[in-house]
This record gives sequence, structure tokens and C-alpha cells, in this order.
Amino acid sequence: MTLSILTIAILTVLGAALAVVLYFVAEKFKVEEDPRIDDVEKELPGANCGGCGQAGCRAFAQACVESEDLGKCFCPVGGNDVMQKVAAVLGREVAAKEPQVAVVRCNGTCENRPRINEYGGYQSCRVKAALYSGDTACPFGCLGCGDCVSVCQFGAIAMDPATGLPVVDEEKCTACGACVKACPKNVIELRNKGRRNMRVYVSCVNKDKGAAARKACKAACIGCSKCAKVCPFEAITVENNLAYIDYTKCKLCKKCVAECPTGAIHAVNFPVIAPKPAPAPAAEVEKPKTSEE
Amino acid sequence: MMKTFSIGGIHPNDNKISKDCKIEVLPVPSKVFISVAQHLGAPATPVVKPGDQVKVGQVIAEPAGFISAYVHSSVSGTVKSVGPRQDLAGNNMTHIEIDVDGDEWVEGVDLTDTLVTAIPEDNKAILEKIKMCGVVGLGGATFPAHVKLCPPPGKVAECLILNGAECEPYLTSDNRIMLEKSKEIVVGAAIMKQVLGGCKTVIGIEENKPEAIKAMSAAVAELQKVGKSYEGISVMALKKKYPQGGEKQLIDAVMGRQVKSMGLPIDVGAVVQNVATSLAVYEAVQKNIPLITNVLTVTGNCLPMDKQHNYKFRIGMPLSYIAEYAGGVPEQAAKIISGGPMMGKAIANLDATTVKGSSSLLYLTAEQTVRGEESPCIRCGRCADACPMGLEPFLLQKYARHNMMDELEENAVQDCIECGCCLYSCPANIPLLDVIRIAKGDVIRIIRTRK
Repeated sequence: MTLSILTIAILTVLGAALAVVLYFVAEKFKVEEDPRIDDVEKELPGANCGGCGQAGCRAFAQACVESEDLGKCFCPVGGNDVMQKVAAVLGREVAAKEPQVAVVRCNGTCENRPRINEYGGYQSCRVKAALYSGDTACPFGCLGCGDCVSVCQFGAIAMDPATGLPVVDEEKCTACGACVKACPKNVIELRNKGRRNMRVYVSCVNKDKGAAARKACKAACIGCSKCAKVCPFEAITVENNLAYIDYTKCKLCKKCVAECPTGAIHAVNFPVIAPKPAPAPAAEVEKPKTSEE
Repeated sequence: MMKTFSIGGIHPNDNKISKDCKIEVLPVPSKVFISVAQHLGAPATPVVKPGDQVKVGQVIAEPAGFISAYVHSSVSGTVKSVGPRQDLAGNNMTHIEIDVDGDEWVEGVDLTDTLVTAIPEDNKAILEKIKMCGVVGLGGATFPAHVKLCPPPGKVAECLILNGAECEPYLTSDNRIMLEKSKEIVVGAAIMKQVLGGCKTVIGIEENKPEAIKAMSAAVAELQKVGKSYEGISVMALKKKYPQGGEKQLIDAVMGRQVKSMGLPIDVGAVVQNVATSLAVYEAVQKNIPLITNVLTVTGNCLPMDKQHNYKFRIGMPLSYIAEYAGGVPEQAAKIISGGPMMGKAIANLDATTVKGSSSLLYLTAEQTVRGEESPCIRCGRCADACPMGLEPFLLQKYARHNMMDELEENAVQDCIECGCCLYSCPANIPLLDVIRIAKGDVIRIIRTRK
């Protein structure tokens, strides 16, 4: 009996003494941290995807607090809503940014772009790209091993077995840019979502001369410049036999789509049949990645 | 007891089927496409334009940096175009297209077979000649030869090692030149030895080429009677083991010294050159012939004996032309490889053309190339036993798949020589080298940016 009382007493005294020591140690070595970092972090999505360019959400919060201009910080996952909340926490202003989405700029489907050899190695685009140009005659297009799919943390990109190309789910895509970095061929680009998700873009990255590009793929951009001539807004430039549409200048007139001889220019999410100019209901929104024509 | 390198290595069947096929000279085709990237380093800058008349041996592209090399025309005729064309991996690279007309050489070239044994005394002039003739290492990496022959200040070459190991299965081109051009190779070695300050010279040859060992020993003995410059050259027979021809492995086998991580051979006093490079040096210095030819093996188990060949080719010949000349691509061939089966590259495009470093056209059948299905790693450690650099491939591939760069660097992924021993020995068919190669590139990039 005495033994147990003694034990309890000793442990209690020891515990109390160590608690006091720990208190002073903690006080002495306390790390001063801006409490606003915690507040900002609470507003962030917590995906730790790195899409903002920081190591994770907490690093981003710290960068927001320390930065003088919030315009340089942007969380692509949370978008404008989150940035407004962050600005409110910090008592600052932030301008809204156009929401973006990942766009696959290759239409080299199995039908358009015949396979000329067989790849039997490890299924990874980076490994494949390090070995050779790919199993089709186009050395620029999608390799089809799905590196973009495996890096996407939001399940927003999937391979379409029918075409052999990745398809982006616009609802889920947060424009974090992970797929853009993962693609060894730089096929994927972040583009502005556009008015009612309507976008016009050149679905090709082939820089070969017209004849070679056409021979490799039926849907290749041949650099004929017809689209650039027809564009009333000077949104299209042709460089190295490849047309590019500047999404900030494009007014979605679709004149280039009609002009393109190979169908390399895609217009997505336009209403199927041009109806009376009513606001487009959700039902009329087409599936992503399908051409209008 | 024959020497070999101390750690790792494998013993694949050497398949030297074409070792007795004499070197034949390929006729010049009607058109050649000469790539400007035939060496390690920056691609050369073309100095001819369409319509220009060129002769054999004329400079058509100049080096674009310190690590770069001259490219010469291998034919005489008219330049038709300078533009992109797919190389053997299918990637676009600038090629110079020349329509062949006759076979007129530039002046000052000695095309006779007489052996010139007197070595010029001026080392600077020799180096300049090697550089002007566009000589690059022909052992696989195509590193400009003159750069390797100028050790950085403070470093002294103690031993020049000539690489006649030819450890890659199937390849026999080095074996043939050692048999047919033995004296020329020894003169080339003596020239390089003199440039390096008269160090000791060892010609390392694997035991599976006894004729080559005999021929080279005889050539050395004969030339040693000629003059002082040939003293200190010897032939060393090495035990057969892949990858003996790897620079660091050969240094270990011959000198018993190990090059430290991220180090250069000159750090341990060694300079390694291939026997084919030695021949190119001889031709450049003694005969003024630029590097526009090399020897290539056409082989494969699916080819009958009379269709196995060793060809002396000129750079810029389409591979399809060579395949056609050799009797066509065999029906059973599922994969055509340029280089050996271990480190060579599969050819995606047979319209690609020969480059200075081309060493073979190897036909493999479907059974030989198909990969088994990948199964989980059972930590048997065969890859670690096989790795000649003492790495742990099973660990590296896990780190590589999870992008763990710090761990990869700690475990010396940057030392990987991409020999493929791990992949060859893995019973679970894990694509070890495929993923490690990518990680190695990333880690080396990180190390460079840190500096």
C-alpha cells in the first residue's frame, strides 16, 4: 500500500516538475509564426497538388501572407472564389482571373494517324519519348501511354480506348497544370475556359512541313495559313508550319473552323444547331473534345 | 589468370556469327543524307547551301561549340537540300542531302594502302588534324576525340587504353578491323600516345577474339622494330564479361583502378579510346582522310551464313539501302537494332542514314525481342549482383517511380552507365533500366543546376 502511494507521489512530483521545465523550454524556443498563415490555409482546398508553384497548400498560404501583391499568387484549384476568401482574410484586394482548363492539342486518333511500328516497352510516355519519336509517323503528337492520366490528382483526365488519346473532363479539371508538365511532347495546354465554355483551338502541334504532316496524320495542321487570313481579329499566328489561336483575342466567330482543309481547328461546346439567341441551357453543351462539324 | 573488372557483369551468349566475314566496301548510292548531329554535344552548323558542288572529304558542317565536331561530305556531287529529316529514332534533325556524281576527292588525301609509320613530331598539329578531320570516339558515345586527348591542366595521362573488348553480343566490326587493319590501329595508338606525353599503352581485347589478339600482338611486335615511338605498347587479353567495353569497367580491368562517382577517367590517369577511333586517327593524321567511313555489321540469328556481312560504309547512306544491298530484310525480323542488343537502339525508321558511330544492323526475331509480363519484385538481388557500377537497381526503380530525387541521388543513380545488365538479369521482367534512365537524367539535371 505504502509502495503504491509512494510511486504515485513520486510520479506526480516528477510530472509536475517536468511540466514546468517543458513550459519554460517551450517559451524559450517558441517559433513566431504569423497566425494569418493558419487562417489562409483553412480557406485553401488542401489538395497539395503544387499547381500554384509552391510545395503545397501551407507553403502557398505563407507565400500569400508574405507577398506584397496577391496578383502573383493564384490557386488554380480553388479559383477565384478561394482567392477572394484569401484576400478577405488578409484584408486585401485581388483581381479575378479567367478560369482555365487543360486542352489536348492532338487529334491523332488511330484512324487519322496510322501506326507504323509497334512499341513493346514500358508503358510510360517519358520512357517512350526518351527512346524514339513514337509509333506513328508524327514525331510531335500524343504518345498515348497516359502519363497525364497518372499525374492528375483530380481524376479529370482519362484515355479514350477508341481514339488512343486523353480526354479532359472539364467539370473536374482544375487547371493545376500537372498534366502539362508531365507531357513530354507538350501536347497539353492550359487555355481560358471561354464564354460558356466555348473554345476554338488548333488541335495539332506538328511543326513539319505540310506534306510530311499530312502524310503522318490526316488531321494535322499543314500550316497553310488560310485560317490566319480569314480571322477578322488577328488571333491566329502561323509559325513553323503550325497555326496557333491566341485565346485572349479569339472572339469565337468560327470562321477558321470552316476554312481549315484538314479539320485541325476544333470548336467545342458550341450549341449543336444554332438556335435563337437564348442563353444556352446545360443540355445543349456538347461533350468535350468533339468537333463541331 | 586473365583480368576483368571486379564487380557485377553478365555473360550473355556472344553470338559473334559474322566474325569471319571479311570487310566489304559498299558502293556509293545515288543520294546520301548526312546528319549534322553525328557526335555527342552541339549539332554542327551546315556551311553549304543547295546548289553547291562538294567533293569527298570537304567540310560541310562546322562545330557549334567546344564539344562538337566537323562533318565532311562522304561523296562528291551537288548539295540538293539542307533541312529536317527523321533520324533513326524518328526525331527531326538537320540533314544535308547530296546528289552523287562521280567520286572526286579533295586534294591532299592519300588513298593508297601503304603504311605510314613515321609519326609527325608536332603534337599541336596532330591535335588540330584530328579535330579538322572530325574524328569522334567510335565506341558508342561519339565523344569528340581531340577533346579527350587534351587532359585538363594538372591531370596527367598515365595509361592510354585501346578498347578492343567489343563486349556487345553480335557486333564484329572491331574484330574485323583488328584483323585487317592491325598495323594501322597500332600506328594510331602510337600517335595518341605521343600526344598524351608518351604514356604506357594497353590494347585490351576479350578472350573470345583469339585471332584479333594474335594479329594485334604480331602488329605491335613488328612495329616495335621500326622505331622508338612504338615502345610501351602491349596487348592484354581480358576475360570475357559484359560490359567490359564500358570505359570505367575497362580501366578497372586493365589498371585495377576505380573512377569515383561523377569522375572522369583522367582522374585516375587513364584515357580510353576505341580501336576504331585509333584507325580513324591514323587515317586523319597519316593519310589526311577525314572520318567519313566506318565498319558496320549486318547480322542476326535469322540470317543465313552467306548473308552475314561486315561492310565499310560511308556516312549518310540510307539504312534501307544497306539492308537492300545485303539481301533485304529477313521475313522473321521483328526488330532491327542499330548497335548491339544490350545498348543499341531499335530503328524506328529504316530511311534513316548511317552516322559516324553506326556499328550494326542487327535483325532480331519476335521471340528474341518480346518482353515478358512484369511481376512484383521479389528482392532476389540478381540486378544488384549484375550491376557493374555496384548500384541497387531494384531500389532505384522504386525511388524513380515515386520521383524521390534525394534518395536517388544518395544511391548514386547518376553513376548508372545504362548497360542493361539489371534488365537482362531480372527474373520478374521489371523495366528497371527504362525507369532508372529517366531518373538519372532528372538527377543529373538537378546536380548541374545546383552548381
